[in-house]
Amino acid sequence: MPVPVVVTGLGCVSALGHTADHFWDAICNGETGIRSLTDLPLESLKLKIGAQIPNYDPLHYFSHEELPYLDKFSQYAIIAAREAIASAGLETIDIQNSACIVGTGCGGKETDEETYQQLYKEGKKRAHPLTIPKGMPSAAAVQVSMQMGISGPVFSVASACASAAHAVAPALAMIRSGLVDVAVVIGTDAPFTYGLIKAWEGLRVLSPDTCRPFSKDRSGMVLGEGAGAVVLESLVHARKRGADIYAELAGCGMSADAGHITDPSVAGAAKAIEAALTDASINHADVDYVNAHGTGTKVNDAMETQALHRVFGGHAGQLMVSGTKSMHGHPLGAAGALELVATVLAIKNGIVPPTANFTEAGEGCDLDYVPNQAREIKIKTAISNSFAFGGLNAVLAVRSVE
Amino acid sequence: MRQNIENEVIKIIARHKKLDLAAITSDSSLVELGLSSLDAITIMYDLEELFDVEVPNETLTQLRTVNDIVDGISRLASESD
Repeated sequence: MPVPVVVTGLGCVSALGHTADHFWDAICNGETGIRSLTDLPLESLKLKIGAQIPNYDPLHYFSHEELPYLDKFSQYAIIAAREAIASAGLETIDIQNSACIVGTGCGGKETDEETYQQLYKEGKKRAHPLTIPKGMPSAAAVQVSMQMGISGPVFSVASACASAAHAVAPALAMIRSGLVDVAVVIGTDAPFTYGLIKAWEGLRVLSPDTCRPFSKDRSGMVLGEGAGAVVLESLVHARKRGADIYAELAGCGMSADAGHITDPSVAGAAKAIEAALTDASINHADVDYVNAHGTGTKVNDAMETQALHRVFGGHAGQLMVSGTKSMHGHPLGAAGALELVATVLAIKNGIVPPTANFTEAGEGCDLDYVPNQAREIKIKTAISNSFAFGGLNAVLAVRSVE
Repeated sequence: MRQNIENEVIKIIARHKKLDLAAITSDSSLVELGLSSLDAITIMYDLEELFDVEVPNETLTQLRTVNDIVDGISRLASESD
């Protein structure tokens, strides 16, 4: 059995608020963070809705001196990291040798687009010198390490919608191998830029009204933004310092479909789920709850349901499966992190979040999706699914700590 | 006008799927031509750019044949005239 790894801190900033508490309260109440878009040239966009962070003022969190170096995706990562590390009761001295792995799907799009607009559209002759350090995909990891004083292994991981879940894998491996005692794992994305929205429109997978995972009238995904962060540490280290433990990060399973660039595969998803259960030494019949990838697209939700049937067989009917993207939207590289926070808190608090906006079950969607209302019920074992474009799959297994 | 649209639709499908022009007729089934949903989106992108029209997302799921695409583009093109 590998060294047990536990979650001792949580943080997030999302469409459901600026803290993990706000996030959790909102999803327990089935509240939606999907609203009309603001601060964007809507007259030039087909997209009108999204899950943006409400009332976000960067100056509330950062000084004028800091902001020129911080693309929004870095800002969100830092905010979530600060909360997670504080909630873990760790000081700077405690985490200087820890790892920090940041999953991001998009990187610093706002920064890149600003510079490209100046060069291509406005004909400027030079690019701002901070374009690279601010916009590069690893910028958020750099900034978190600088702000939080983390000087252990720090890097970024990218696998589109599974980035945050994939970021857990090296963290888990490093703690299990004894390379580090503590790892801060973050997922962050800030995709509400003109160019990136246009790119998403081109894929024709965005819903015009809302995100309804597993419903018959589901019409696509809703873009979101934000960041989630967890502090992982070895159980021994956590107990030694008397840390409060949320849950055990029991395992991580990964697979690649090796199939289509956008369409998901049942086999690939099932392989990742099986791998997570094996890594965590969890029996199929012991899984109580699945935090689904549940994007609200026709293809994902049907595929995911089939994958759950394939893996769990007769037990599938006993699973509670919720698609929390119905509330926090799909914040791409941050999704796996927000969903891990939701899964951990579901186990810790004995409340299973709902699938909001549920109308009636779609064809081939025949599981218990916890429609619209959270359910108070003690759960011991859960998985959180992330199935990304191009078939990069990562599944996290979480277990209660007695 | 319609013949021009049909010619362009066939050319674009042929280019995307590396098919001979002669292999595609107006009655050709999109599934039989091997078009995936991603193929359909990328072909639509080229047609939208060429004819300066906007094809709504819902329309894509209803397309079965080359004729359906030609009809749709023709309708949108004449609406915007």
